[in-house]
Amino acid sequence: MLAKPLRPMALQARRLYVELMFQVMGRALQGISEVDQVARDEARELPEGFLFEMMVRPRGPSLVVEHTGEGRFHYHGDNPPRPVDLSIQFKHIAHAFLVVSFQEKTSVAFAHDRMLVDGDIGYALRMTRILNRLEAFILPKLVASRAVKEYPANLKLPQKVLSAARIYLKVATQFFDTARAS
Amino acid sequence: MSQRYYEFFCPVKVIAGKAALEHIPYELSGLGAGRPLLITDKGVRAAGLLEPVLEACEEGGQEIVTIYDDVPPDSSTHVVKDIAGIYRSEQCDSIIAVGGGSAIDTAKAVNILVSEGGDDLSAYAGAGVLTNPLKPFFVVPTTAGTGSEVTSVAVIADTEKSVKLPFTSSFLLPDAAIIDPRMTLTLPPHITAATGMDALTHATEAFTCMAKNPLSDAYATAAVKKISNNLLKVMDNPKNADSRLELAEASTMAGIAFSNSMVGLVHALGHATGAICHLPHGLCMSLYLPYVLEYNLETIREPLGELLLYMAGPDVYATTPANRRAEECISAIRKLRDALYQHCKLPRTLQETGNVEQDQLDRIARVALDDGSIMFNPREVTLDDALAVLKRAWG
Ligand SMILES: [Fe+2]
Repeated sequence: MLAKPLRPMALQARRLYVELMFQVMGRALQGISEVDQVARDEARELPEGFLFEMMVRPRGPSLVVEHTGEGRFHYHGDNPPRPVDLSIQFKHIAHAFLVVSFQEKTSVAFAHDRMLVDGDIGYALRMTRILNRLEAFILPKLVASRAVKEYPANLKLPQKVLSAARIYLKVATQFFDTARAS
Repeated sequence: MSQRYYEFFCPVKVIAGKAALEHIPYELSGLGAGRPLLITDKGVRAAGLLEPVLEACEEGGQEIVTIYDDVPPDSSTHVVKDIAGIYRSEQCDSIIAVGGGSAIDTAKAVNILVSEGGDDLSAYAGAGVLTNPLKPFFVVPTTAGTGSEVTSVAVIADTEKSVKLPFTSSFLLPDAAIIDPRMTLTLPPHITAATGMDALTHATEAFTCMAKNPLSDAYATAAVKKISNNLLKVMDNPKNADSRLELAEASTMAGIAFSNSMVGLVHALGHATGAICHLPHGLCMSLYLPYVLEYNLETIREPLGELLLYMAGPDVYATTPANRRAEECISAIRKLRDALYQHCKLPRTLQETGNVEQDQLDRIARVALDDGSIMFNPREVTLDDALAVLKRAWG
């Protein structure tokens, strides 16, 4: 049988969903660095001005955050102000979709060779721990335990961040449903 | 749909067994090489291990152009640059590494410089920087443990910037690994024990960590079986060439397993302890293996229980109730450690090493959390978790 015709709508929706989730994550990274002590203690060890990027190869969606000191992050959208220090790269948009739609845990995606680390592996681990923390924060517990290796026991949820992030998430979920339906 | 996905790659030709060294001349000519540079260390030369290699080559009409025998235990960019200079001035066209982890890593790095050109090794650090095949490269391991002959990584210290440079590329893999029982026959008991435990840890972590897959599983279980059947035989009778070969094969097989499915917390803690307390890598593996398995137990119960078959044999496996097999596997590993302690005083706890202070544990835990191996540990390790494992391993 010939290959099925491409499903431009579905593929488009998937790309939009990944783009949107990257925005959610970028904002939420900045958000939790303002309110969560655990995340801030992790981030504190990063050099000041440290630029972290998560992107989809070859020129797909990306998110960039900067460590501005004291464990705080600033979200730069998809525009790094200078060459980044650490880049976590998905090999394909399909792999990024698996992760940001919580079908594959970040750590499993690493184990499955879905992504590459360009930069210091110690910093990459630190950022992965912060991202795990973030996922546990913005997701309902049931979904989060699918996304991270272990759901943290000491999670105190500041309602403000939560509700903000959940709104993004809701929008995101709609995209997800559209993508799945088509 | 199944969530399973894996990658597996090992293009290294394994040349193993009796008179394996004598195949070097033929294999070199098959790659169009005739002017090899031999890289080794003083210990290998002093142990008389160069003679069989040189004899095998000479008798086979293969000239060894130059020998560099001064690789230090912790190699540096400086050493690599010097050796690359020798390679160029002697117009060599291939590399043979004879030794353990350090000699092999050094040779991999030399191969980068002599193939890609230049003297700045740091330009090639990181993952996936190399995009071209390197010069013909053979490895003759002299320890049965590291598995470096089948891994695509090398770590070299940049002494000026005091950082460790990691290199990852499948082009670093040698063209052939030559496993000859003569090369490990004279390995002293405590090194045999420690490197054997390193290989056992590679296989066990490969079989229980997150990137395990059917192909690496096959190598891992076969390696565990060979080690559990032969390590104590060799300790009893170091000149048992058959068992020596089995251990050397097991080390290579465990290397193939873990280079494809990675390692976990034992290695993260071991790397940290090695860096802070300067204990040999194999010893660190032996120290932490049972405690980390206990920590991971509930997430790895199934594979660990299965491993009992290879660790203790079919009789023990069959007579152990399925829900006790994982615990029994850990106790088989503990028994092996006790036996090694009887044989050569290989320490079983941090305290028994006499080289670790209790107030260093916190630092070890912190450094371990930043070690790449921790990524594939089946449990998400927090600082408190790592500390708890270290306290149990203290004794
Ligand atoms: Fe190891």
